[in-house]
Amino acid sequence: CAFFTGKLNIGVDTVQHGVEGLTYLLTESSKLMISEIDFQDSIHVLGFSDELNQLLLQLYLDNRREIRSILSELVPKLPSYHSLEWRLDVQLASRSLRQQIKPVVTLKLHLNQNEDQTAQVLQTDPSTLLHLIQQLEQALGEMKTNHCRRIVRNMK
Amino acid sequence: MELSAYAQGGWRLLGDPRRFPRRPYAALLRAAFRSLLDHPHAGLGKADSFVLDDPDLKDIDPTVLKHCHAAAATCILEAGKHKADIAAISTCLEDCKLDKERIEQFCTEYQKNKDALEILLGSIGRSPLHITDVSWRLEYQIKSNQLHKTYQPSYLVTLNVENSDSGSHPDVSFSCTMEQLQDLVGKLKDAAKSLERATQM
Repeated sequence: CAFFTGKLNIGVDTVQHGVEGLTYLLTESSKLMISEIDFQDSIHVLGFSDELNQLLLQLYLDNRREIRSILSELVPKLPSYHSLEWRLDVQLASRSLRQQIKPVVTLKLHLNQNEDQTAQVLQTDPSTLLHLIQQLEQALGEMKTNHCRRIVRNMK
Repeated sequence: MELSAYAQGGWRLLGDPRRFPRRPYAALLRAAFRSLLDHPHAGLGKADSFVLDDPDLKDIDPTVLKHCHAAAATCILEAGKHKADIAAISTCLEDCKLDKERIEQFCTEYQKNKDALEILLGSIGRSPLHITDVSWRLEYQIKSNQLHKTYQPSYLVTLNVENSDSGSHPDVSFSCTMEQLQDLVGKLKDAAKSLERATQM
């Protein structure tokens, strides 16, 4: 603010208010994802010149994607999937039982939570693995059903 | 397959018909197997009666009973642990001066319970959290207080996991997009394919 005060020859408070106002305008517009026309209508009441209005509109359109992406970080969230590593092992023996042939699938699940990445080591057996695949494929298939397609189409 | 001196001592008592007549011997064998295999995690509260409360055992001195029960249980577990065959068990019990008939009785009882024993022993031990099931939820996000008109599908996946020690554990939940779920399923399918190839070798 001090930098701009010097350059533009206006008070610190004015610059601060200006920045805040601009921030609010861009944030709210991006949040609501308003159309070009609605944006233009909204700033029309400020009584700026056409050139300035065009500038503001361009500023909105150029930056709204990034602003929305930043805003989406503020939404309440669960840990989200990052990636999965897997490994196949055969357990041959343990302290309590020798001569085993037990296939084991070891998984390392990487999740993101609030900028931290966590890795959790999990294990499963072959039949559960197939069960997991079957269940999750059903989940993926849901988006293609008529029901979901209809909802997606009608909510725009 | 080897037994400790203490266990061998117990078996010598078990082999002695004066200390352990036929019926108590059979009863003790039954009790030993039951104490290991019947609801091992149930805890003492669940059992209606203590395993050694068999009427056939009431005439045996309690200290002797305890020693012999420990010896029998030790033998059962050692045999199970090493997947011992009848010959190995027989040799071991012969060293404790048991007669053929008693050895045969033990082996018969052992054969009956072998599979359950193997399952029990195989389940003991440390391992990472074990996935038992998965549940999922598909939602279509419309808006939040921070962001409107988001309009995107999102999956919530919960992996039900079990701890080898305590049995239950808070589930592992995470959200993902359709692409991420496809990535996850793809990787799981790779693992399954490798598994299939490995079993065909």
